[in-house]
Amino acid sequence: MAKKSNFPDIIFIGQPNCGKSTLFNAIAGLKAKTSNFPGTTVQHTHSEVNIKGEVVNIIDLPGTYSLNPSDPAEKVALTHLFLEKPDLIINVVDASVLGRSLELTLELIELEYPMIVALNMVDLAERKGVEIDIEKLARTLGVPVVPTIASHGRGIKEMLDAALGTLEEGRSAARIKWSRDVEEKIEELEKQLPESFPIVANKRFTAVKMIEAGKLLFDKMLKDINPPLKMVLDKVRNDLQTMHNAPAYEVIAAERHHLALKNFEECCSVRRGKRIGFLEKVDSIIMHRLLGYLILLAVFLGFFFIIFKIGGPLEELLSGPLENLRHSLSIGLGEGVIYHLADGLLQGIGGGVAIVLPYFIPLLFLMSFLEDVGYLARAGFLMDTFMHKIGLHGKSVSPFILGFGCNVPAVVSTRILESRRDRIITSLLIPFIPCSARTTIILALVAFHLGPLWALGFYVFNILLLAVLGRVITFFFKIPSPGLILEIPSLKMPSLKNMMKKTYFQLKSFINFAWPILIAGSVVLGLFQYLNFDRFINIILSPLVEKGLGLPRELGVTLVFGFLRKELSLIMMSDALGVSIQSLMTMISKEQIIVFTVFVSFFIPCLSTVAILWKEIGRKVAFISMALNTGVAVIVSLLVRLILRK
Amino acid sequence: MVNLINAPEDTSLRIVDVLGGHGVRRRLFALGFHKNDIIELDSRSILRGPILVRNLTIDTSVALGRGVARKIMVEVIGEKK
Repeated sequence: MAKKSNFPDIIFIGQPNCGKSTLFNAIAGLKAKTSNFPGTTVQHTHSEVNIKGEVVNIIDLPGTYSLNPSDPAEKVALTHLFLEKPDLIINVVDASVLGRSLELTLELIELEYPMIVALNMVDLAERKGVEIDIEKLARTLGVPVVPTIASHGRGIKEMLDAALGTLEEGRSAARIKWSRDVEEKIEELEKQLPESFPIVANKRFTAVKMIEAGKLLFDKMLKDINPPLKMVLDKVRNDLQTMHNAPAYEVIAAERHHLALKNFEECCSVRRGKRIGFLEKVDSIIMHRLLGYLILLAVFLGFFFIIFKIGGPLEELLSGPLENLRHSLSIGLGEGVIYHLADGLLQGIGGGVAIVLPYFIPLLFLMSFLEDVGYLARAGFLMDTFMHKIGLHGKSVSPFILGFGCNVPAVVSTRILESRRDRIITSLLIPFIPCSARTTIILALVAFHLGPLWALGFYVFNILLLAVLGRVITFFFKIPSPGLILEIPSLKMPSLKNMMKKTYFQLKSFINFAWPILIAGSVVLGLFQYLNFDRFINIILSPLVEKGLGLPRELGVTLVFGFLRKELSLIMMSDALGVSIQSLMTMISKEQIIVFTVFVSFFIPCLSTVAILWKEIGRKVAFISMALNTGVAVIVSLLVRLILRK
Repeated sequence: MVNLINAPEDTSLRIVDVLGGHGVRRRLFALGFHKNDIIELDSRSILRGPILVRNLTIDTSVALGRGVARKIMVEVIGEKK
């Protein structure tokens, strides 16, 4: 791959939760998304930064526990590392979990690229009673080690100096030997590597990765292109297996594990003794078998209570001027096509500002709080039992919660799920989660006209339907979910600055991706109204809308084309019925309001969701999702209508 | 030797073997769970939910689904705290 920029490439790589993005943000300004939920930087972010006069290209890769990827986020890290040789690796390490973090450090050293270690969260290590002899660690590893506390911006300058120093010297990390018998076997394979063989980093690293390779695809491919080499590989793997009576990949992983522990013990002293600090006590309560669930319920109720307390008034505040603006626009431009286009554009932009943002920003902020504290991983632990019932596991909790804000970032965040099966099921369920737009509809219609109890009932019904759907969808997947393996990071005090940055970054990705599509959809619908297509479409849809759902025919466009701008279904509805939302009851009955809300909630959420499904998971799943949403919306709203008719 | 699921809580245990397919085993290795590590079963969630395991060797704690936990064989080495 050609080098994108002629500035040196510095990559930040570390295990999930080591403070990599915080460190990255401290240097590169508002770029990366940090959190305390393992695996959050799902896209990798680039930024050109000027450090002491030298411009460098900094890349923050998603967290990875090892260079043998298990989930899609980790694959992003590796393709980058292997395809484009970085000029410098900054391996960010969580000092409070040094024993395990060193395993990745040792693996990175095997690459023999220029590298430094940013020993982050040294304050947390001290609090845990871990004293680290930094000089000794640097000598043992053979790479510079710089202590940092990214969240307080300490040690950043020294780390940058070390980075630039190593960059200039171009001094590569030195290879660290494993036990002799394993080394001999690796050399045996290394010698057989033909010149034409694609080498990653160096011959030894390539040989080790061949031995560790888990993908059957790799073995089959090698058999085809170079059978003798495959024979040597099989012999080396079998020899390792007989020597250590464990599969070859385990022997290699164990070598790194024991070497990391040896380095850890040599360079650190740990004041053992289970010091029950304040955070540990809080943790045991949060994770308590019964108390934990009460707290979880309280946290979620509080979570949504705050969002609506902020979102509601904010939305009223914003939608007022939007209405006046729309009004003055219609006076100014008359009834021509320009008016409809301009009105479509305004509603698209206005829709985003007045309806999505008031709920979305508080939700993102509170989400980042839950993530940074470390509560989200614990919610995943507590929720795993229920998620299991619908064929998923605890790790899908974070995408589901994000779905309440907007389905688009929720689909993106499914990258943290290891198996494609879990990713597809979670992504097929996310469009059924009421996003802020649909929440506004539920509040404005159900809560306003029928009372808050009905609205709460609607939410419960929605979640029950999600569970049933989950059961049904998993039925189609033969392979079971690979089960939950989720690291529970230590509870941390979140930094306000960090949470603000993360909210801003998440918002930016919504604005860049979802909003333009929403505006485009809105303009298209404006055109429909101009060409009075909508009357034509209402006629086509009338059998379903009128006969089936028992709703006034004029609502056809609102119902079906709501997905072009779901945020504005309310305004479309009041336009179609020619009456304001508050005085809706004069036109339609309570039952009709429920049927309408059910359909709108379960129908295709919005164009942006379909687009992100297409981009993230693939075309097939995007179409299946649309069919699923349509089917469920029609069936459920028909059923609801029958039940209410009695 | 006993299955991690049936092991006593808050007692030091040594990992004797990690069974199961290489998918699960690799993910456990990546998280630093290896043979001979000393671990401790902190808590079991209700309704056959996941279990919380603290790896004393590297001082991290991980939530493991029952299916995964069933694949880890341990022997009891310490007394109940």
